[in-house]
Amino acid sequence: MSSRMSSSLKSSTAFVVGLLLTMHGFFVVTFLVANAPLEKTMGIVQKIFYFHVPCAWLLMLSTFVCAGGSLAYLFRGSERGDRLALCSAELGVLFGLCVMVTGPLWARAAWGVFWTWDVRLTSSLLLWLMLIAYGLARRYGGEGGRRLAAAMALFAAADVPLVYLSVNVWRTLHPTTKVVSSLAPGMRLPFFLSLAIFSALWGVLLTLRMRVERAHARLVELTIAVEDAEGRSP
Amino acid sequence: MTYVALAYGFIWGAVFTYIALIGRRVARIDAEIEDLRQRVKPSA
Repeated sequence: MSSRMSSSLKSSTAFVVGLLLTMHGFFVVTFLVANAPLEKTMGIVQKIFYFHVPCAWLLMLSTFVCAGGSLAYLFRGSERGDRLALCSAELGVLFGLCVMVTGPLWARAAWGVFWTWDVRLTSSLLLWLMLIAYGLARRYGGEGGRRLAAAMALFAAADVPLVYLSVNVWRTLHPTTKVVSSLAPGMRLPFFLSLAIFSALWGVLLTLRMRVERAHARLVELTIAVEDAEGRSP
Repeated sequence: MTYVALAYGFIWGAVFTYIALIGRRVARIDAEIEDLRQRVKPSA
């Protein structure tokens, strides 16, 4: 039984291949981005956009997946949903961190400051912090920590439309959502390819992380079973 | 150019660090499986 678990962890060849293909995609995207036309006003710093926007998209996607898994856990007691929520929240924190670092780098060059309390920036920071709080609630929340975290995930998901629409509803410094549809033809391919590669990487990491979490859950079950058996034996 | 390189480098660094952390978790689970196997062995 344990050898089956161990082999399931070791049989990650498909993931290694998936990861390598994704990494290869990153090199292709890097090449395309390097050769994409320069934006007239911002110049080379605009190229951060090709990585910043996909990371922001994955932050939002991770939050929605986390909320979906949390709903399944809260209303149907689904352990799988709970694991999905945990793994996607972790990825949300990862890609959110990338957003929080790449955004200010772009802002410093475009606006002259690393940070401003703009509604888009503030709501994005809030979303990222909520995902971190989700992880902390699970880790240190004790008995009801998982349920508390699941409820927090629903709040985080409610923040996503606010993050997305904020630039269209309020007057902000941040570019609006129309910036993608108004991209110059030479910028579209690198952008959408980058979006696809980042999404593929997210899928590979989520699947890998889910496998590890499933193996851990199985290990906990087996350890309890062994301890029970040892307790019963004379 | 520096900002672009910093942004791109940071993303790569973050992703690789995350993959390394997953690798560490896998190693820990493997070690625990081995412990469990050793415990089960005498009674098997």
